[in-house]
Amino acid sequence: MELNPIITVNDLHFAYPKRSVLEGIDFTLNRGEVVSLLGPNGCGKSTLIRLILKLIHAKQGEIWLENKTIHRYSHREIAKHIAYIPQYHNVPFNYSVLEMVMMGRVSKSGFFAAASANDRATAYASLERIGIADLADRAFGHLSGGQKQMVLLARALTQEVNTFIMDEPVSGLDYGNQIRLLELINDLARQGYTFLKTTHYPDHALMVSSRVVVMNEGRIIANGLPEEVINSSMIREVYGIEADLITHNTNTWCIPTFSKGAL
Amino acid sequence: MISLKSFTIVGGALALLLLITIISLLWGQYPIDFHTFMGYMEFKLFGGAGNDTYTLLDNIILQIRLPRVLLAILIGASLAVSGAAFQAMFVNPLVSPGILGVLAGAAFGAALGMLISEQWYVVQVLAFVFGFVAVGVAVAIGGMVSNSRSTIMLVLGGVISSSLFTALLSVIKYVADPYRTLPAIVYWLMGSLTMADLHSVLLVSIPILLSIAGMIALSKYFDLLSLGDEEAKALGVNVPMVRFAAIILATLASSLSVVMAGMIGWVGLIIPHIIRMAFGPSHRLLIPLSAVVGAIFLLLADTISRLALSVEIPIGILTSLIGIPVFIIVLKNARAAWN
Repeated sequence: MELNPIITVNDLHFAYPKRSVLEGIDFTLNRGEVVSLLGPNGCGKSTLIRLILKLIHAKQGEIWLENKTIHRYSHREIAKHIAYIPQYHNVPFNYSVLEMVMMGRVSKSGFFAAASANDRATAYASLERIGIADLADRAFGHLSGGQKQMVLLARALTQEVNTFIMDEPVSGLDYGNQIRLLELINDLARQGYTFLKTTHYPDHALMVSSRVVVMNEGRIIANGLPEEVINSSMIREVYGIEADLITHNTNTWCIPTFSKGAL
Repeated sequence: MISLKSFTIVGGALALLLLITIISLLWGQYPIDFHTFMGYMEFKLFGGAGNDTYTLLDNIILQIRLPRVLLAILIGASLAVSGAAFQAMFVNPLVSPGILGVLAGAAFGAALGMLISEQWYVVQVLAFVFGFVAVGVAVAIGGMVSNSRSTIMLVLGGVISSSLFTALLSVIKYVADPYRTLPAIVYWLMGSLTMADLHSVLLVSIPILLSIAGMIALSKYFDLLSLGDEEAKALGVNVPMVRFAAIILATLASSLSVVMAGMIGWVGLIIPHIIRMAFGPSHRLLIPLSAVVGAIFLLLADTISRLALSVEIPIGILTSLIGIPVFIIVLKNARAAWN
């Protein structure tokens, strides 16, 4: 299959005044891929995502979005290529779900233009696609964590782009909602959307990824097919724990082993 | 496309404002009946035979009541819209032009202008400059004490900024000429809608209306900015530009209100809260509706005080007397409205 890069990162370095965060990152996201950025807290996953979205700036290295470096794009132009789905959060003003979803249309409309009937229809269609159209008039602040995350995903769909970047999408969700969200990502990926998502969980990377990029201490230490990259030695190196990988019904699972045995 | 619901709500509020405006022009120490008023309007609009009554009405309506009514509308609108804009910009439902120190900063700037120059534009420019400096001081102090975007720290920063410029204002009063400049500063600071003439009201209406129009035009971005800077940027908003423009416009509108009528508190805080509680937080409706409801509030307060009381009470005192109990009610319901 011919690779069609959407995002290409070359020799990227980033540091806060007293701490180096990323050192020499080389990375490509190709069209149609679901790439999981896997690594422990503080390994630089979220920083890499923020750099790709031009929310912070690197001192060294290049980020290409299709055929131009990211610095040649405005945020508005980036939003026409990439939809960012943050972790669900509280908002200080309690907007309705429809209002939240319609915020995804801002990059599509003229600078001073008001919301159009088309914007509203697109927002409804996105909610229907995620299966939460019944929430349209509910207050966003009154939803559960899982519902909020779904609303943020619907908002990304209203941007009408093909590439989604998600930062810890299942963080804070209960087990059922975690799986439901991963299934939804799987469905959308099958429809041709490209995903770059960060995750703490090797299991989730195994479940929903076409490729896994493992990061540790600001570097990429492995990059490849999920079953090839995620193994006991990688888990030991990155997380400092012992784990076995077992395969059942073509699915591979990561099972941590307690060093002092079970109860 | 503005939704039909928003259009109906803003349209209804505008109709109410028009009604109160007419009532306010007719009622007063010299009551004017509606029939005479319509005849006068016809005479002014289409010409015809004038008479002594119309000459008298010229004096009462054009010279006395109209400037006051227009000023109340302009100031009510500018303070309420500025309050809503500041609340969106700082993602903080507890701020307003008064709480951020803009009114005190503008008052200091305007008083300084009166001290050093006879020119009216110097007073206006200095009011705006120091209004802007006061916001800067509030934000800097809030940020210095706490790195996170803290609601309370920004309010405390505003309290300190406000106190600083109130103290500096006292210095101006202390050094001002006690026979000429000092009384002028003191009377103006008390806040009054009576001093303006039609010409100066029309003149100040241009920058105020432009500021309000600018904030209405930016209102769709206010919703996104309240999600946090990074999310707003990722959704395609030019965050620094929108935030800077909104703060400049809100500071300009509220500073000019200080120049025209002294320090009028509470309007910028309570009006956006009342609208949020009634119609939800979307800024696409909140900003234009704040303009109309702010205008209604101040015009109504001024009209009632003019009719009910034989002595002239500074409008700033009245808005505080009305605003404080309203805000207590708002605070009781605040949790539901904010989150």
